[in-house]
Amino acid sequence: MASREGDLVLSNLPPSRTQQKLALSVALVIVLAAFLISATGEQQVRLAAIDALVPLYGMAMFASDSITAVLLFTQFSIVRSRALLVISSGYVWTALVVIPWLLSFPGVFAPRGLLGGSSSEITVWLYTLWHAGFPVFVIVYALLKDAEPAMRLRRFSAGSAILSCIIVTAASISAATYLLIALQPYLPSFMIDAVMFSGLWYYTAAIIALLSALAIILLWVRRKSLLDLWLMVVMLVFLTEVLISSFPVSARFTLGWYAGRTCSLLSGSLILFVLLYEITIVYARLIGAVRAQSRERGARLITGDAVAATIAHEIKQPLAAIITRAETGLRWLDRTTPEPDKAKEQFKEIVADGRRAGAVMEGIRANFKKDAQIRTWLDINMLIEETLTLVHSDLQQQRILVRIESRGELLQIMGDRIQLQQVLLNLITNAIEAMIAVGEGPRILGVRSELNEDGGVAVSVSDTGKGIEPQDIDQIFNPLFTTKPEGMGMGLSICRSIVESHDGNLLAFPNSPQGAVFQIVLRPSMTTSPASA
Amino acid sequence: MARYLEIAVIDDDESFRVALVESLSSLGYGSSGYASAEDYVRVIGGNSFSCVVSDIHMPGMSGLDLMKHLAAQGSTTPFVLITARSDANLEAKAEAAGAVCLLRKPFEIGDLIGCIEGAVKG
Repeated sequence: MASREGDLVLSNLPPSRTQQKLALSVALVIVLAAFLISATGEQQVRLAAIDALVPLYGMAMFASDSITAVLLFTQFSIVRSRALLVISSGYVWTALVVIPWLLSFPGVFAPRGLLGGSSSEITVWLYTLWHAGFPVFVIVYALLKDAEPAMRLRRFSAGSAILSCIIVTAASISAATYLLIALQPYLPSFMIDAVMFSGLWYYTAAIIALLSALAIILLWVRRKSLLDLWLMVVMLVFLTEVLISSFPVSARFTLGWYAGRTCSLLSGSLILFVLLYEITIVYARLIGAVRAQSRERGARLITGDAVAATIAHEIKQPLAAIITRAETGLRWLDRTTPEPDKAKEQFKEIVADGRRAGAVMEGIRANFKKDAQIRTWLDINMLIEETLTLVHSDLQQQRILVRIESRGELLQIMGDRIQLQQVLLNLITNAIEAMIAVGEGPRILGVRSELNEDGGVAVSVSDTGKGIEPQDIDQIFNPLFTTKPEGMGMGLSICRSIVESHDGNLLAFPNSPQGAVFQIVLRPSMTTSPASA
Repeated sequence: MARYLEIAVIDDDESFRVALVESLSSLGYGSSGYASAEDYVRVIGGNSFSCVVSDIHMPGMSGLDLMKHLAAQGSTTPFVLITARSDANLEAKAEAAGAVCLLRKPFEIGDLIGCIEGAVKG
């Protein structure tokens, strides 16, 4: 169960062959394109300054990075790993830092930016925070991700953890922006003129490149999941972006600069695409699983019917012979001159046929016995949970409220898992059908497990259906008794014999204010509590 | 009993087949049993029966298949079908195939006689 749950979470999902190939080809294409642009000297070709491109680029980055952050936070709320929280915060960081960057960019909102000071300088500082910050988040992610199982954040609610991360990130960016504006006159200068970068930028670019490279190396060494794989590609694109927009010449509005922005957009949306694709796939798999589960349940019920039909057929054959022979025997005796010898022959055959019917029954029983004697210790609360998932879609469709009450932490019993589940499934299905039959009023299915005073375990299934008529209460466990138009009347009778074979009792009483309660009571010899285990 | 009738009983369940043949004989009918539809087809050249009582589900040719096979050869011998199955749609199948009655095991011999006499009269 745990491993299957893990399979559905992106940070645990191992990448498939195709995914690996795809990631590798994306990485190769980007690096090759960047190399071509750089090596041919085209990097420094100055293109027209399209002023509208900067705000568009900024908005696109903000949108894609916020969506990615939301999706990653959702993943975090499922697995609660600190690494996921960190990488989500990284995307919050890149989404939010775009805002002051755009505000300060010269010529976007105002000719000299909106934040005052030397806007051109502040823009580059913010760009540095943006691009040096993200690799740091990735590095921390890579370092934290293996430490996970021991350090799960179950104590805090997912919501408050996410909210505090967003607040801390936003506050850091605000503080950094404020400090940059205040301290700008004292900081070294990045720009020579409006478009050309100074030598300081080359050192900064080298540091960002080194951080990205370190992130790639760490991810490579500790790579495991699909998320790791694509983060590596993202960091590679990041690295390419910094290199291509800085070397050999760093200036705004060159081909290299535009290529850098393209890389940036790509790296921002890569994880988003992967997340969206994988979530859709997981969703599809989930639908498949739900379908399979309801099919499995159908198959289980049909098997019961088929077994009953087979038994009926096998018994009817000798029964038909017995009745025919008994009639023949009576006829020989009823004649005006009775022929007792001929009648005797018929009665001998009746005895043989009776034995045959007995042997048939014994054979069927022996067949069932083979599977039946698998007794293991099992947690009754887990069994209840599993059984409820089998009828989950019915409960939802019929808008039935489920109330699970469990007293006592761990209720372990010794029994046959499949048989006991069949009993529970039968009682729950009966409860659901009883509530559907009523049509109106509240629909509440109650499943309660508790430890009795004598150390035994009691499991009650209650409904708010039509209840059991007082005159029927003695008969409901009899085979062939049914109140359902389609029913065979075998369900409760089989349930009772299963419970009795577990040395327990199956009881029925009225629910208040309406409906019925069926209770499985298992004696202490079949159960254990944490104290006695 | 107005007249002597020769009745064939086809059933793979030996115990029931013998019981039914003996029961019919005790009532004064001529009766013989066959363990399968194939057996019956093999010997039908020599005998012609007034009525056939056949199980539906048998290994090999089923009772319904046998009816089709004989009808194709122009036989008009009336058929009474019997079964130990509980399938709900068997009545409709038996009627469509042209059987006089469908009896579900276990049945009373009086019901079978009623079916046979009714079929032969008509």
